[in-house]
Amino acid sequence: MPTFTLDGKELTVEQGTTVLKAALANGVQIPHFCFHPHLSVDGSCRMCQVEVEKMPKLAISCDTLVADGMVVKTTSEKVLKARNAVMEYLLLNHPLDCPICDQAGECGLQEYNFKHGNTHSRFSEEKRPGRKRFEIGPRVVFDEERCIFCRRCVRFCNEVSQTGELAVFSRGDKSVLDTYPGKPLDNRYSLNTVDICPVGALTSTDFRFKVRVWFLEQTDSVCPGCSNNCSIHIDHRKGKIQRLRPRENLKVNQAWMCDAGRELYKQTGSDNRLTAPRVLAEGQSTEVTWEEAFAAAAKGLARFENDHIAAIGSAGATNEECYIFHKLITNVVGTTQLDLISPLWEADELLIKEEQSANPQGARELGLTVNRKSFVSGLMRAIEKEKLKALYLVGSEILGDPDTRDGILKTLAKLEFLLVQDTHATDLTAIAHVTFPALTFAEKEGTFTNIHGIVQRLNPAVPPVGQSKPDLEIFGGLAEAMGKPFDTVEPKKVMDELAQCIEPFRGISYDTLGDAGHCIGSSNGL
Amino acid sequence: MERYLTKNFGKPNAIAMAGYLKHGGYRALRKVLKKMEPKDVVEEVKDSGLRGRGGAGFPTGLKWSFMPQETDGPKYIACNADESEPGTFKDREFLEKEPQMMIEGLIISAYAMGVNTCYIYIRGEYATQTKILQQALAEAYEKKFLGRNILGSGFDCDIYVHRGAGAYICGEETGLMESIEGKKGQPRKKPPFPANFGLWGRPTTVNNVETFAQVPHIINKGASWFRGIGTEKSTGNTIFGVSGHVNKPGAYELPLGYGLKDLIYKDAGGIRNGRELKAVIPGGSSVKVLPADRIDVPLDHDSLTNAGSSLGTGAVIVMDDTTCMVRVGVVLAHFYRHESCGQCTNCREGSAWLHQLMVGIENGQGKIEDLDLLMDVADSLEGSSICALADAAAWPVQGLVTHFRDEFEEHIKTGKCTSPDSFRI
Repeated sequence: MPTFTLDGKELTVEQGTTVLKAALANGVQIPHFCFHPHLSVDGSCRMCQVEVEKMPKLAISCDTLVADGMVVKTTSEKVLKARNAVMEYLLLNHPLDCPICDQAGECGLQEYNFKHGNTHSRFSEEKRPGRKRFEIGPRVVFDEERCIFCRRCVRFCNEVSQTGELAVFSRGDKSVLDTYPGKPLDNRYSLNTVDICPVGALTSTDFRFKVRVWFLEQTDSVCPGCSNNCSIHIDHRKGKIQRLRPRENLKVNQAWMCDAGRELYKQTGSDNRLTAPRVLAEGQSTEVTWEEAFAAAAKGLARFENDHIAAIGSAGATNEECYIFHKLITNVVGTTQLDLISPLWEADELLIKEEQSANPQGARELGLTVNRKSFVSGLMRAIEKEKLKALYLVGSEILGDPDTRDGILKTLAKLEFLLVQDTHATDLTAIAHVTFPALTFAEKEGTFTNIHGIVQRLNPAVPPVGQSKPDLEIFGGLAEAMGKPFDTVEPKKVMDELAQCIEPFRGISYDTLGDAGHCIGSSNGL
Repeated sequence: MERYLTKNFGKPNAIAMAGYLKHGGYRALRKVLKKMEPKDVVEEVKDSGLRGRGGAGFPTGLKWSFMPQETDGPKYIACNADESEPGTFKDREFLEKEPQMMIEGLIISAYAMGVNTCYIYIRGEYATQTKILQQALAEAYEKKFLGRNILGSGFDCDIYVHRGAGAYICGEETGLMESIEGKKGQPRKKPPFPANFGLWGRPTTVNNVETFAQVPHIINKGASWFRGIGTEKSTGNTIFGVSGHVNKPGAYELPLGYGLKDLIYKDAGGIRNGRELKAVIPGGSSVKVLPADRIDVPLDHDSLTNAGSSLGTGAVIVMDDTTCMVRVGVVLAHFYRHESCGQCTNCREGSAWLHQLMVGIENGQGKIEDLDLLMDVADSLEGSSICALADAAAWPVQGLVTHFRDEFEEHIKTGKCTSPDSFRI
């Protein structure tokens, strides 16, 4: 392990560490544009140059390996002059349109110019014109004039998404970032290019001009878009989510997330959220209080023999919800006819996993079944034969397959009692006898277990809509109404409880999970 | 002074295999294959003091010794025939007039480094030369100097010709390799160096056409003979390409260390129309200009470095007193702006800015502060990028503004050119 001197301080680092990485890991901020920790080294922006004793020229710290005895200066006069020159060059042809640029506030160019640049320009020639507001892909807008040719986006598309749409064409000061002919930037991960663009060249069609970023509050959470559980930041303002962004988590998602996942915040703020419990009486759906709704549900379920009742949950439920739901159905409602549904979609090699629900792995670890073979079709037959009379549905995944959807709806309409718990109004809530309004991922606490067994925490970013409640409280209220209350339905305490009795979760608690989560290890990754 | 490189240039049949053989061609290859171990060849070239003729002057034998001896896969040699530095036309002489000489040198080099596959990267504009080269290679294959089991030695060697598509930067050795690989021609950052990670990630050596052409002579006559020509640190003859305002522009084979003044006034016949010399660019357009009063200098690496310029490719560009130095600045700055690959910030933006400033001065819109700005921009280009193109853009500007500041100031103050008859392109 080489020892070197960085700005007068001696540091020992792993063999093969670059000066830039060593500096950043030790709190020394060397400015950089083209370097990105999860992409190959490009070495072209020249912003991270440092002075290395005995080297004739300044060295780019992103591509200089620490060697034993090396003496590095990051703030010498020579270095500051070089940085200043790079800043000046990058701004020569930059439109300096910060007041109308959506990147303002999170712009590398803006930030570094305050620290390393000039307040005036020595450039009085004409700036290079370029395409403005160009749709480089269906979700990304490109401003050619703002591009600084760091080529992070190009490397992302070559190395990470491996779709290779982008390149810098032509040369010299005529260089231009573009897609190959007939190949728009339209891959499942295209919005990551927006995240890693250090300037306002690539912006998100969805997010741009919605809000100035300095007004945003940030809550760390987990994407519920598939069983990979990418770590995310939820950016929100005044109770409204504005965007989701990936949060670095090396074992889960490096620094990326898919475009589909980023869309999910829209569910939380959508117009068709369920805002109050409802009961269907004499063909008329009426808003009721939670007490009335719990009483109606308890009464509705009590009318039937245990084997005339079944329950279907969502594999998108948190670990805590799965655990309590399991207890509710087996111990309180008293049926063994229980399964969870996770829709499937096309997986890939990078992040997107086949199971589209957030937590099928957690559910299985907790002893529940997911997508049990012939379970739904068996239930449907039982309803047709009047052997099944009451059903408790959490979520609407049962309608996920367009081929079976209409048949299922028709059959479910024959039930004597249908209890639906969901976040949004659906065709199911339209025919439910009792409806419980629940929360989306962005409004509640809990944990997911991803496909590789990594348990991570969700955190509420925005308040619940209307009277909707966390699923755990709904399960608790129903159990109480049925005369068998749980000791606790508080997420943290539920985790403490299940960690004592479910072996893979032993030792897990909210206090120990940390930002990156914890791998419960028993999982073989499916 | 012995002319060993060009002595058969222009003789009947020198361009063809028959002529080359008649003049003693391929003796060196036979000698190497029969009597010399590869490492002996490397040692001989090292001993000769031969320095690369592509512009940087790196010791050739030392470069060859960087190639790993034992590898578990292919190694490559690329011959750099992408001769694109303005003013430079010496490699064209070899390609046009006696192509077998550099081919023989290339095969010997391949033997020395244990390489079985070589590429000749030739600039796209050298269409005629490509045809000549391909004909020459066909003849070499026919005579079994190329292909399998060359002259019964068990050594195999193939040479492929790859034409460039019009980019100066592909003459930079890593840009050249990217281009051969079918990628956009732009230099790679170093390390890794080509000797470890070159073409397709394999050990690779790149040398200039003339460098290879020197090799058969070193083998035939010995390292000490070669060391006896030129200066202590710049050995052998070279072809100086003299262009510009001289009576006899052309290619002159002379030993390194030959006087610049003699080259211009004796060999090239002096300044045209009896006019006065104004300035000389002694080593291709990227090196710093020398004003007329500083040309009493030997043409070797050390002397020209000490004189504040560089030997470069030995391309001597002569300018008489009708030449406007601002115009020279515009032309040169335009070239490097146009040829910057654009990866590195400083080179991409700075080379363009230098040109814009030069144009401003030429058009009478310059300000006196622009001269300091030009120098400042040029200084911040030096050593600032992955390859040396940023330096190449900076040096001419530094040279011109340093030595001809008065003329630039005059231009700015009057808004007019003092040499309106200066060349236009």
